[in-house]
Amino acid sequence: MKKMKKVNLKKVAAFMMAATLGVSTLSIAGCGSSAAEDEQVIIYSNADDEAIEAMKHALDANGYEGQYVIQTFGTSELGGKLLAEGTNIEADMVTMSTFYVDSAQEQNNMFLDLDFEVNTLDEFPSYAAPITAQEGTIIVNTEMMEENNLPMPTSLKDLADPVYEGYISVTDVSSSSTAWLLIQGLISEYGEEGAKEVLTDIYKNAGDHIEESGSGPLKKVRAGEVAIGFGLRQQAVADKAEGLPIDYVDPLEGNFTLTESVAVIDKGDETNAKAMEMAQCIIENGREELQSYYPVALYEGESTDTENLSGNPKVFSEPLTVELLKEHQALSEECK
Amino acid sequence: MKHKNKELKLIFAVMLVFFLAFLAVPVIRLLIKSFILDGSTGFTLANYQSVFTSKGFLGALGNSFLISSVSAVITTIIAFILAYTIHYTNVPKWFKNLIGKATVIPMLLPTITYGFAIIYSFGKQGLLTKLFGRQLFNIYGFNGLLLGYIIYTLPVSFMLINNTMGYIDKKFMVVSRLMGDSSFQNFRITILRPLLGTLASSFIQTFFLCFTDFGIPASVGGKFEVVASVLYTQMLGSVPNFGNGAVVALVMLIPSVVSITVLHVLEKYNVRYNKISAIELEKSPVRDAVFGVLSGALLISVLSIFAVIFVVPFVQDWPYRINFTLEHVQAVFEDGNLLRVYANSLMVAAITALIGSLMAYAGALITARSTVNQKLKNIIESIALITNTIPGMVIGLAYLFSFSGTSLQNTFAIIIICNTIHFFSTPYLMMKNSLSKMNASWETTAMLMGDNWLKTIIRVVTPNALSTLIEVFSYYFVNSMVTVSAVIFIAGTRTMVITTKIKELQYYNKFNEVFVLSLLILFTNILCKYIFQKLADRSQRKEKTKR
Repeated sequence: MKKMKKVNLKKVAAFMMAATLGVSTLSIAGCGSSAAEDEQVIIYSNADDEAIEAMKHALDANGYEGQYVIQTFGTSELGGKLLAEGTNIEADMVTMSTFYVDSAQEQNNMFLDLDFEVNTLDEFPSYAAPITAQEGTIIVNTEMMEENNLPMPTSLKDLADPVYEGYISVTDVSSSSTAWLLIQGLISEYGEEGAKEVLTDIYKNAGDHIEESGSGPLKKVRAGEVAIGFGLRQQAVADKAEGLPIDYVDPLEGNFTLTESVAVIDKGDETNAKAMEMAQCIIENGREELQSYYPVALYEGESTDTENLSGNPKVFSEPLTVELLKEHQALSEECK
Repeated sequence: MKHKNKELKLIFAVMLVFFLAFLAVPVIRLLIKSFILDGSTGFTLANYQSVFTSKGFLGALGNSFLISSVSAVITTIIAFILAYTIHYTNVPKWFKNLIGKATVIPMLLPTITYGFAIIYSFGKQGLLTKLFGRQLFNIYGFNGLLLGYIIYTLPVSFMLINNTMGYIDKKFMVVSRLMGDSSFQNFRITILRPLLGTLASSFIQTFFLCFTDFGIPASVGGKFEVVASVLYTQMLGSVPNFGNGAVVALVMLIPSVVSITVLHVLEKYNVRYNKISAIELEKSPVRDAVFGVLSGALLISVLSIFAVIFVVPFVQDWPYRINFTLEHVQAVFEDGNLLRVYANSLMVAAITALIGSLMAYAGALITARSTVNQKLKNIIESIALITNTIPGMVIGLAYLFSFSGTSLQNTFAIIIICNTIHFFSTPYLMMKNSLSKMNASWETTAMLMGDNWLKTIIRVVTPNALSTLIEVFSYYFVNSMVTVSAVIFIAGTRTMVITTKIKELQYYNKFNEVFVLSLLILFTNILCKYIFQKLADRSQRKEKTKR
């Protein structure tokens, strides 16, 4: 038998404990972060990859490289953090669905008024400036469509056709605001009663595939679980560009939009001054690249590139408030 | 006697303060929100009204009870079969080893992967669907949930049962035969009865794991509404309503009261043994063959679902472009952040495991091996069971409400504390089950011989409980590596761990990268388990040579 090194278990255990206690106290103390790190502007965002890259490019090109850190979250988690933490949140600046920013401001009064000029085409609150407009669209899996001989839908109303039963995936508007784009389209075109009829049939066709997350339908379309989904146009465009058998169909009712905005957190004396500067930088210098992915114009002087233009961008006739969403949620629940 | 109790009471006091500060206070603050409308301050029952009258809530609640109970029963039975094969049959040793290791593999993966695994294995374009030529069953709704839950909870159930079975004295099987019992009576009296408490613990643990999980329903739930999804929608839906969410969380806590009573009642079936005798099992090739084949089949079924996780990251895009590529692996490792995040995970997991094991050990010592007041023991028992019934998301949000703005915000410490509490239940039950099977007179004997209590614990009890301690350490480590639902809220920009990175990738629908990272976690966990096991074996051998 091999001779084993005699290791006194007690000594080893004691040492390990001491070592870990030492490490843990160091880490609790924060490992002595450098002064430069403390000054960094922390940005929380729920934006997609491409938008984040565009924002980074804008900031880096204007002298802010190394002075910020971007941390991405899913919409739900960031929403939860904003509402629960208020001004105690770690971030100095956020980019988030405008709708959530409004909710957070209403509940926590946590954002500073922007101190730079914002010439938006539509009205925006004083504490938020839009960075992207997310459009909704019909997404299809071309191979599944062929395999199952499904006719290509051209409108949201088409999705109510029983021929699509079991082949559709949509999102539940009570879990994700992406689904709101679908409902806005239906109500805008068919009024509330008409929308309810169509939505009821769409839910019937979706069956098991009513998802909790906004990107759920696209996930299922990609995986070949369903043939058709409703989701964010930009994500579908990106997938198609990558060569996946994905295509998108801009519905006749129109592509409705939800914007994401930048907002600066009001931390009183501890507010990082650079945060406001960076917010301004993103708006003034980042929009060009952002528009290459999210073509809808948001500011005066911007034009929507006709090539990238979606079929039919539209804005809902009423202002998009929490109350309106709750109404529409109730409508959606009646259709299930 | 007073002398001994002082140390225990001190430990108890420390534990109590810890749980009060980091469990009771945050959770109660969250639950109080159920009486307050979001944004206002008055006390009101409006939230309760809103939740209970909402369409489908009671249906979802009923569904949850149904699916959780069925899953718990099936999982416990499967785990029992596997554990029985290891302890009470003569199948080859390598096979027993294999069962022990393979059964816990699902626990080494983040739960995000289960839903995908099922869809990518059994879905319309699934790997197994293609192998079998047709879809085997509808993966959405009850069936998919059942499958997902069984896979999710099998490791926990198995660990509990397998662990306790190891402490049953098999000598009594011989005694029972000599007394003329039939095979079934023998089985019932010498194996089932001593295990009743553990089987109940297993049922309860798995029940609550299923009851509080929303990751699997989000993937394969389909139209089968469960209450955990309702909770998620209320807390983190498009219009977050923490008040309503708190109501749902409170309702979900109620079954735990029942479970505490049940476990308490089953205490009296517990049997303590003088020593664990190794006896030769009765030879029965039929029994061995049946159980061997059964175990093998069960394991293959469970693990086949994960086969796809090894395939998907290495093809271009499942299921439409199935050419081999390393581009996803490259993409993941090119991320400069990854190394730092990985190191964070390891450190957090290691410290959590250390602190957690000590706490579970301390708690179990108090309840299973001391003569302190029964009321104090009940408090610990209740704490342990409650920690299991609180969904990770609730703990995360509760911490957010309570510790945001304090110096604990965004530190590693808060993540470690959160993990320690979140996973307290199973390790505590494992330690308690094993400590309560050991001879009760050790402490007294040692005291009579002049040793103080601490010495007895270190010299006598610990070596006998070492294998369980290692299991507990390993359980805490592995679960800290894979946990996400609480951590996502309390991790700050500089304290991100690998599972929050996985969540990030999930939002971007970068599932290939998600799988690569999951595999990374899997291999890390396997490696660490191997190291822990080697350490345990070494110390066991050292003890033997000492004697």
